[in-house]
Amino acid sequence: MQQIRLPQAIVERLTPTQIAEQLATLTTGYTPDPEQELRESTYYDLPVLKAPVWHWEIIWYFFFGGLAAGCYLLASIAALFGSREDRIVARTGYYLSLLALLPCPPLLIKDLGRPERFLHMLRMFKVRSPMSMGVWAVMSFSFFSGLTTLIQAARDGLLGHARGVRWLALLPQSWLALPGSAVALLLGSYTGVLLTATSIPLWSRSKLLGGIFLTSAVSTSIALISFVLRLVRTPLGTLHKLERLEWSVLLLEMLGLLAFLRASGRAARPLVGTAPTEHGTTFWRFVFGTGLALPWLLQTLSLLTKRSPQRRFPGLLISLLVLLGGYFLRRTMVEAGHTSSQDARTTLWNAQS
Amino acid sequence: MIVETSQRTTSPELVQNIVSPLLKQPVPPMQPAMGFFTDTSICIGCKACEVACKQWNELPANEAHWSGTSYDNTRQLSATTWRHVQFIEQIGRERPQISTLPFFNNDRWLMHSDVCKHCANAPCQEACPTGAIIRTEFDTVYVQQDICNGCGYCVVACPFGVIARDEHASHTARKCTLCYDRMKDGIEPACAKACPTDSIQYGEVEQLKALARERVGLLHERGVSEARLYGVDDNMLDGGLNSFFLLLDEPAVYNLPQNPSRPSNNVVPASLWSIVTALVLSLLGIFFFSNNK
Ligand code: SF4
Repeated sequence: MQQIRLPQAIVERLTPTQIAEQLATLTTGYTPDPEQELRESTYYDLPVLKAPVWHWEIIWYFFFGGLAAGCYLLASIAALFGSREDRIVARTGYYLSLLALLPCPPLLIKDLGRPERFLHMLRMFKVRSPMSMGVWAVMSFSFFSGLTTLIQAARDGLLGHARGVRWLALLPQSWLALPGSAVALLLGSYTGVLLTATSIPLWSRSKLLGGIFLTSAVSTSIALISFVLRLVRTPLGTLHKLERLEWSVLLLEMLGLLAFLRASGRAARPLVGTAPTEHGTTFWRFVFGTGLALPWLLQTLSLLTKRSPQRRFPGLLISLLVLLGGYFLRRTMVEAGHTSSQDARTTLWNAQS
Repeated sequence: MIVETSQRTTSPELVQNIVSPLLKQPVPPMQPAMGFFTDTSICIGCKACEVACKQWNELPANEAHWSGTSYDNTRQLSATTWRHVQFIEQIGRERPQISTLPFFNNDRWLMHSDVCKHCANAPCQEACPTGAIIRTEFDTVYVQQDICNGCGYCVVACPFGVIARDEHASHTARKCTLCYDRMKDGIEPACAKACPTDSIQYGEVEQLKALARERVGLLHERGVSEARLYGVDDNMLDGGLNSFFLLLDEPAVYNLPQNPSRPSNNVVPASLWSIVTALVLSLLGIFFFSNNK
């Protein structure tokens, strides 16, 4: 009897911070050992690295860039492989992709120290520099997304019926979809690769960030597209496809994040730990909790109970939660990167042998 | 060279300003690789190098700040501090007594004039998307101030926390130039010139490396077994450093990473994982969309 009650008693008495701390230890496989860490040498604990100069602009850029890439990819898959009914995903996806892309260039330019020199980025084509590759990805994606959406708009009659427009509507949109999707995949993942190719322990240790950002780009895009589709009349089959896709992508994202935490070990503390400078409470609440686990559970439930997917609740809620989680994933990842750069001991530990 | 004054620009000038960054300029003939050998065993912590660097490069003084930990109130390299002297106080070291004489004890003060390492494979230069960061004809790493647009990627790429974005004046990335302007005229950099003990030596990298090996051998001979070289062999960042050090303790004591990884080496594994993820995601999408049950 007592043995059964004991764990329950412990669970009841745990504060949210303590739960976050337990999760951090469990997922990273690293138990903080303050005594051991204090014995490690540093120079008065002054940071070894410089803090990133990237702030809110880059967080929103990661978010919108992911949506632009993910929406384009989903729209193309729906157009190429979906049924006639699924065309609505293609249409919505292409429009949303261009919309999400619009804020990206201004955010990127505003982020520069010398915004008026943004064109200097185009002096180079440097395969080993993800920043350079990213600039070219944004440029070429703008072309594909812009043209694809223009064709879509012409077909939907949004551009009037001039001869040029009719001509435009005849262009083979599906030919663009394949190279466009390849560029979209590059756009959705390079941001994570960019963070990996730095000296910041949290970002660079596991090498998995590109995959995680790409997965999150797709999961948030499914959420955005289904959110919009739920507001209009959409064929049930299509919604059902999106729901099942969302379920599996969320699962993939959770597994990816867990692998990231395990591979990063001690370096992941700024993201998941609960010390005052660490971002664990936000991470466990808004990224892993309400951003991934909760919508995934809700999605599981609604798929299991086979409720009509036309019912807006909980579909709309799931979408909102996933979008919020995607934003907080980027936000905590960037902010915890700042924390990570200031931790001399972990930086020096990370650079051993 | 440092601050661009906001003079009125005429339109031909404006056009020139826009076009010139895009033009290739003739490359000066290659010179032998030049670098620094900073021998911390003879540093006396006078900070002449810090001051000389600021003077020559017209860098503003640091804001007064009391670190409270040592005589080092500079604390770190920054966009406007390109030499930085550390004061490491080692009191009550657990170590066998070197002498039984009462006035010899194990307490010591380590001093170390830190500077850009001018890495042979410089992560800052590899990261730079504009090509502002170049290798000069002296094989040093130099940031072209008229090209840099302050994207900040080099700041997080540098494994030594050297390069930084100047948030007050130029808004570009700045760091030690190894006194490129002086080198072009065949004069040694300001810090090396000012150093009264020759703790900072300037010269051809190969010669300096031989000198460094000789010096560490001598110290070992004299019983300073903890002396070691940092960045002289080719292991660090796959090619060694052109500005290297002789240290009297583990690198970590000086806040130097023991064996930092080269960020650009992460591009391939990170891209491979991204490609795997891209395949899985695309296949999932194709599977669910083509499945019309
Ligand atoms: S030490 Fe840092 S700033 Fe200097 S060359 Fe190496 S990477 Fe660049």
